[in-house]
Amino acid sequence: MAKVIVVTSGKGGVGKTTTAANLGAGLALLGRKVCLIDADIGLRNLDVVLGLENRIVYDLTDVVEGNCRLRQALIKDKRTDNLFLLPAAQTKEKDAVSPEQMLKLTEELREECEYIFVDCPAGIESGFKNAIAGSDEAIIVTTPEIAAVRDADRIIGLLEAAGLYDPRLIINRIRPQMVRQGDMMGIDDIIEILAIELLGIVPDDEDIIVSTNRGEPVVLDRRSQAGQAYNNIVRRLEGIDVPLMTLEEDGWLTRVKKAIMGRS
Amino acid sequence: MLWLDPHAEFDDVFNQLQEKLAVSKDFWQGVTVVLKQTERECCPKEKAQLEKLMGEFGMALKEHVADNPSSRMKTTREVDRDYALIVRRTLRSGQRVHHEGSVVVLGDVNPGAEVVAGGDIVVLGTLRGIAHAGALGEETAVVMALKLLPTQLRIAHFISRAPDHQDAPEPQGPEIARIRNNLITIHSYGP
Repeated sequence: MAKVIVVTSGKGGVGKTTTAANLGAGLALLGRKVCLIDADIGLRNLDVVLGLENRIVYDLTDVVEGNCRLRQALIKDKRTDNLFLLPAAQTKEKDAVSPEQMLKLTEELREECEYIFVDCPAGIESGFKNAIAGSDEAIIVTTPEIAAVRDADRIIGLLEAAGLYDPRLIINRIRPQMVRQGDMMGIDDIIEILAIELLGIVPDDEDIIVSTNRGEPVVLDRRSQAGQAYNNIVRRLEGIDVPLMTLEEDGWLTRVKKAIMGRS
Repeated sequence: MLWLDPHAEFDDVFNQLQEKLAVSKDFWQGVTVVLKQTERECCPKEKAQLEKLMGEFGMALKEHVADNPSSRMKTTREVDRDYALIVRRTLRSGQRVHHEGSVVVLGDVNPGAEVVAGGDIVVLGTLRGIAHAGALGEETAVVMALKLLPTQLRIAHFISRAPDHQDAPEPQGPEIARIRNNLITIHSYGP
């Protein structure tokens, strides 16, 4: 039975879309059949992050309005055969879709694949309600900032109210140096407030910016630290016990080593 | 439930009610009030006045024709602090509990969450949000938590807030907040 997992955060800009793209690509790499739904109608991004923007013909609203069949709207990834994207409409508004329609859509998609990730828009309004309508699990993305953690807390409460229990947490954009100096919230501080299961941590990594702009999920880049972090999370989703990565800021020696290894 | 004393002047009742309500403004938000008609009937003008007052406090007024005309004088109920509501979960940002009696939270109260109680508030966890004990004016009400780190503490009409500097020492054990000499004071609690 396919799992429908919503990736949400409340606050914008914490890395929902990047997370959805990387988890999807990572699982596809392991041979799982994955579909990504971009539920951010009117502000679609997932296609850009995956580098699939130029292949969009039909979108999510076309499917729910019956303008095309689901299969026609699904875009196959250019790197793996197992990854599909259902893009959001860019010219419509959030309420072009209803929660009932989303539920029907996800039910239909369950037949097609093993994992379905719903990339949720920021906020707690109709877009959020649509995104969670058909989901049976939730992944909360947050960054080590008070505002992001506060919003994550609010989202956990709203998910519970909607019957979605035990969400799992990804802490994104950690800067170990700053945590060590006490200038940034640590993992323990965040877990103490949110009190949910930690699925993984992702360090702040310039590779993410590069890969996002290039439309290549960083998870495909074995050398990057963030890619490794996403890889760990992917394996945890598959039920493999992977220890939390230790975040060490590279000393000059390791940096030189990396540079040499990177060239060879 | 609102009974109108058939023997009292409407203006007196109205003024008293206004005072009572003003003491504990926040408590009444979203409450529906049923106006119980006794032998004394409200004239439309009086009703409109009541409705307006309720509206100011965020309440809705509903009319209820009395089946059993009793003439008990009662505008607000005494708070029964021994009657507690048990909240068996963590209150998260945006969630609000309000109860006429006391409130016991078996979990944390996170920042952005709010507990409003007519009586005492006991948090068997960390209190980081807002707690308002004695919200109906009871100044002997207390707030207790295993870890008391509230954004804001209110008891009756007293308000205190967390210090602005973030490096204040963390409490080492359970603490209790109560009013002493017209100030909210915090003491460690227990042996």
